[in-house]
Order: sequence, then structure tokens, then C-alpha cells
Amino acid sequence: MTRRRSRKLDQWITFWSVPFFFTIFGLVFVPLSWMMPPRSPSASTPDIVAFMQSHNLLVACVLLTLAYGLAPVSNAVYLMQIKRMSVSPAFRYTLMMGAITGAIVGMLFPMFCFGLGAFRPGYSPAVLSMLYDFGYLAFIGSLGCFCVMWMAFGLAILLDKNNVLPKWLGYYTVWQYMSELMAAPVWINKSGPFAWNGLMTFWFATALYVSWQLVVYTCIYRSIKKQPEAELDNADITRTRDSRTGAPA
Amino acid sequence: MTNVVEGIDEPRRGDAPRGHVPGDASMWFFVIGDLLIFGIYFVGYIYYRGQNPDLFLHSQARLNVDVGAINTVVLLTSSLFVVLGTTAARAGNPTEALRRFGVALAFGAAFPVLKMFEWIPEITAGITPGTNLFFMFYFVMTGLHLCHVLLGLVILCFVIRNLKTAATPKISFVETGATYWHMVDVLWLVLFAAFYLMR
Repeated sequence: MTRRRSRKLDQWITFWSVPFFFTIFGLVFVPLSWMMPPRSPSASTPDIVAFMQSHNLLVACVLLTLAYGLAPVSNAVYLMQIKRMSVSPAFRYTLMMGAITGAIVGMLFPMFCFGLGAFRPGYSPAVLSMLYDFGYLAFIGSLGCFCVMWMAFGLAILLDKNNVLPKWLGYYTVWQYMSELMAAPVWINKSGPFAWNGLMTFWFATALYVSWQLVVYTCIYRSIKKQPEAELDNADITRTRDSRTGAPA
Repeated sequence: MTNVVEGIDEPRRGDAPRGHVPGDASMWFFVIGDLLIFGIYFVGYIYYRGQNPDLFLHSQARLNVDVGAINTVVLLTSSLFVVLGTTAARAGNPTEALRRFGVALAFGAAFPVLKMFEWIPEITAGITPGTNLFFMFYFVMTGLHLCHVLLGLVILCFVIRNLKTAATPKISFVETGATYWHMVDVLWLVLFAAFYLMR
């Protein structure tokens, strides 16, 4: 009985790593360092220097270094469900690579940029301003990677004939990722609604993304619950152990 | 008594197909969501327009209303043929439906081409998203709409393939494609009014 119940343990670990990871991520970026909500791209140099040299950034970077590895674990939860869909593996690989490139650009780059300033006091204000720009442009600009990643996810749901996830979620994903295209203008404006802290590029996109992420998360939960045990990846292993002749159903 | 009730129910049952939601029901999730997003963007646009009405009016005067108007007619004509094509497909006449969807596709494909006639002269004249806030909104919103048109053209191609190859074409799929195309049309009408015509 206990053995049976633990068959989905791998999926549940990846599943629960998501809220755990997002909590640490939120703690690091919001109350610990106040990197988020994004500071203004047109902030004055003394403000930028004061922010870039604050010691909290070092603590934030320590935590992020410890937790960063959870990103691949939490993305595995999507990959295991896409694997069940009747679609080309290209979708799975696109999602995997999109998630990884997005995490490198959107999480590692800002971590290094913001951490560097606090690490060694005495960098010139010009260098700190550049690191500040680099950090924020990487954070917001990484949405391009996530856009393609979620496009693959949405299309996989729509093309899937096994009904692993509901079709409306596929449509929802498609319009959600279109809103992420809004990240492109961050390169052009330094203030107003299209700057990196703007209403159109940051606030709308974030509000849409967070609500969508919660819905996806709920759907994934139901999908793991509903998944028949015989269909699990590790079901094969136990089955071949039991009888080598039995063909899979 | 039961007979009477059944008698009353008969015609209603016959009417039922006329009252159904056209196309794939989950497609409406997309349509409503997409309209919602564009709605939010329009509210953003109107808000910033209200902050700086002179800049927006002056910039608006530099847009090419002629190409915009032609594109409106092109999209509306395309939508008309989608309606005619859907009617033919429902009536069980795939050949006629195919012809009408072909015309709709041709008109639809003219839209991006005309858009280039609008954008390229503007960009070479130095009007880019960086010029001012109005042009940023203009290029982002019409660009986002253009992405929808291109996706719509791909969907129309799939509808045509469905009509051409399937022995019994899937009407719900034809309706789904038509619904999406009409949404693209509605969005353009609002865009055209808000960006070219609003005074």
C-alpha cells in the first residue's frame, strides 16, 4: 500500500518545489533587496549607487545561489505532463531550453549584476549605473525566452489528443504569452508606460502572468492526480521486474 | 398530457442547433481573454492620451489614414467571405465554401502587405516607436494586432485544408476559425477608431 502511494512521489516533489522556489524567489527580490517592483530606469546616480551598494543585496545573492538549482526541478513538473501528450518531443525540448535560457538571463544575470556592486565597495558610479541597467534589462528582457517556452506549452495542450490538460488552458496560455511580447519596448523608453518599470511592460504583464501561473498550477495538480498509475514512467520498471514477457497495455 | 408536452417540445428540439455556441467552446476562452487584454491596453492608451492630448493629436495627424481605411475595407470584406463560406459549409456545399474561404484568405493576406506600405514609409521618414509615446502605443498595438492577423491567416489555411481534404469537413472547426477571424476584425475596428480617427 505504501509502495503504491509513493509511485508519484517524484512528481509530487517537483510539484511542491514550485511554491517553495517561488517563495524564496519572492523573498529575495521583494522584501530582502527591493529589486522588485523594478526601480526607475531614470533614477538619479546617487540613488543607483546607494541601492547597488546596499548589503541586503549580498544576503539576497547568497539565498539565490542556494535556491537557484530548484528552477530545473520545478520545471520538471511541466515536462513530465507534456511527455504524456500525443505531440512531437520538439515541444518538450523547446520548453526545457526556453526555461533554462530564461532562468539564466532572468535570474542569474541580475543576481551577478546586483551582487557585484555590493561585493566590493569602490566601483565608480558609472560602472554601477551600467550594472544596474544590465540587471534590470536582463530581468525584464528574459520574457522573450519565456514567451517561446509557454507558446510551446500552449500549442502542445491544443494539439494533444490524450486530453492531459484542458483545452481552454491551451487557449489561455496562448493569449497569456502574447502579452509577454510587450517586453520588447524596454530597450527604447527610459520612462513612461513602456519603460522596464512601466504600466504596460511590467504591471499588466505581471498581473496576467501571476494569475495564469496559479491556474496552470491547479490544472497540473489535477492532471497528476488523474494520471493512471499504469501510465507512469516508473511503472515500466516495476512491470519488467514482475514479468519480462508482459507487453505494455 | 405527455403527448401534448412532447408536441410542444418538438419544434424546440428542431431549433436547438441554431442556438448553439459556434465552434469549439474553449476557443471562446481565447476570444474573451484576448478582447480583455486589448481592452486593458486600450484603457492604458486612453489614460495616457488624456495626460497629453496635444502630443497625441499632433502625432495622430501624421498617420496614413488612407491605407488604414483601405485595410479596414479589406478586413471587413474578408470577414464577409468567411461568413458566406461558413454558411456554405453548414449547408453541406464544401466546394462553394472552399471558393469563398479562398477569397477571404486572399483579402486577409493583403492586410500585412498594405501594412508594410504604411510602416516602411513611416520608419524611413524617421517615425519609430522611440519618437514619442503615441508612436510607441501605435507600433506596439498595431504590431500585436498584426501578429493576430498572421496567426489568423495560418488558421484560415487549416480551415481550407479541412474543407479540401476531409470527406466530411468538420463544421465546428470551420466555425472556430471564423470566430477567431471575426475577433481579429473587431480588434482592428477599435484600433482604427482609437488611433486614426479619434479626435
